[in-house]
Amino acid sequence: MDLVFSVITFTCITLLGVMGVFVVTGLTGLFSFGQASFMAIGAYVAGVLGIKYHMPFPLAIAAAVLCGLTAGLLVGLPTIKLRRDYISLVTFGFGEAIIAILNNSVSFTGGAMGLSGIPKYTSLWLVVLSAALCIYIVANFKYSKFGRQCLALRSDELAARSMGIDADRVKLTAFLLAAAITSYAGVMYGYYTTYVEPGMFDWGVSAEWIIIVFFGGINSLTGAVVAALTLASLPEILRFASEWRIVIYCVIVLIILNFRPTGIFGEYELFAKHGRTKTSKGA
Amino acid sequence: MNRLEVRSISKAFGGIQAVTDFSLDLRQNDIVGIIGPNGAGKTTAFNLISGVYKLDSGKILLEGRDLTGLGQHQITRAGIARTFQNIRLFKGLNVLENVMTAADPYSSYNIFESIFRMGRRKRQEEENREKSMHYLDIVGLKPLAYENPESLPYGLQRKLEIARALATNPKVLLLDEPAAGLNPSEVGEFIGLVKRLHRDFDLSILIIEHRMEVIMELCRWIYVLNFGELLASGTPTDIQNNQEVTEAYIGEEDEECLL
Repeated sequence: MDLVFSVITFTCITLLGVMGVFVVTGLTGLFSFGQASFMAIGAYVAGVLGIKYHMPFPLAIAAAVLCGLTAGLLVGLPTIKLRRDYISLVTFGFGEAIIAILNNSVSFTGGAMGLSGIPKYTSLWLVVLSAALCIYIVANFKYSKFGRQCLALRSDELAARSMGIDADRVKLTAFLLAAAITSYAGVMYGYYTTYVEPGMFDWGVSAEWIIIVFFGGINSLTGAVVAALTLASLPEILRFASEWRIVIYCVIVLIILNFRPTGIFGEYELFAKHGRTKTSKGA
Repeated sequence: MNRLEVRSISKAFGGIQAVTDFSLDLRQNDIVGIIGPNGAGKTTAFNLISGVYKLDSGKILLEGRDLTGLGQHQITRAGIARTFQNIRLFKGLNVLENVMTAADPYSSYNIFESIFRMGRRKRQEEENREKSMHYLDIVGLKPLAYENPESLPYGLQRKLEIARALATNPKVLLLDEPAAGLNPSEVGEFIGLVKRLHRDFDLSILIIEHRMEVIMELCRWIYVLNFGELLASGTPTDIQNNQEVTEAYIGEEDEECLL
């Protein structure tokens, strides 16, 4: 039973991370290869506050999300003005920089040895509820003016600006929402495993999340959720295949690029209000 | 005061002077055309007016307000909307959402009201939906509101672009070759649509078009561009009888070539 609970918990935490990427990459079309570093910020800030200052759990969450937002603002403000391909470079660099900082500020973070002794406050119900709430929030975001403007920007930035959309502001909003969600995921992670080390949050994690979003369909929240649930839990269930995870991912990506460039679900949404149920035919 | 005043704008790309010292006046509730051979700088002029490119020199005034140097979205919010020569609709959004997106900058609900579905969001979304449906109705696309824009025939995509431009609540509408690719009956329909917009809205319209029947039928005044410079301007009749304009379009009459 413990194994099942642990698989569910990790799957929900991955789902939270994927939701962040869905907002930034799926809806807005900005490739963030440093998304996992927001998870690191969440885990470390809350972890250090919990261990060294015995801060109550809810306060630690709030502080961690605030730090995530501040970091998001620091990277986001200069990057959103860049061309799309440079954004992935800058976020990649930011992610690696965060890991380098964590590795080197030994007195605070324990460096490469990691930070251990974080209290175990994350419960199964808390992560399941958080994941559900997060899906609700992202769905509301997608079906509001923000979601529409993000999709418009992704599709044609020049036309979007010509329709009066403040592109920089919309991008920053999406970026910050993702930063908040992902740093919250980090808190959940740290307070579940009770031990974190910088290597857990490298760009490979960010890339994995992006793959999951593309697997599900870049414009489909349903797809992102289903893909996160299956791809995140599968390796845990099929333990024997865990070494092959990366290989399996690569094969999946190749198959999708070939046969369904818009992902399994394309634009399909389970609870779409009107029409838009047709899956797109691929680019 | 004129609705839109363009005061000797210029733009060069590297060594190529795309638009030189071009001025234009658009009165309230006016329809004005810009014509000229391919590469004459017509679309560049539009891109300068709508803020896609920065001006090298000159000024653009909307109802006396100087728009020079504003960003694209600020110019649109000030009241200049446009359509594109090569249709640029938003993929991933349906027909209705394409129009709603253009009206979205007028919704004031914030991110928290958005992600927690609060009252103001619901009200404003409802208003926006109604307004957008109204614009779709004007161009005759209401029955197709939930379709995918890419699945529409070309002529309807052009109409959707016009509905989307209207949703920004413009004072000046820039139409960039709106009749390109339309068949003759669609062109007639399009002329009727522009006349209706002109009658029902307080709108000044500026049209770039190659099809003379559209320009001659709709425009009060015509500017002719050639190699980025103003070649002539006048009423449709003046332009039709202008020797220089004919030469720019079909080349000079060469005595030796005439039988």
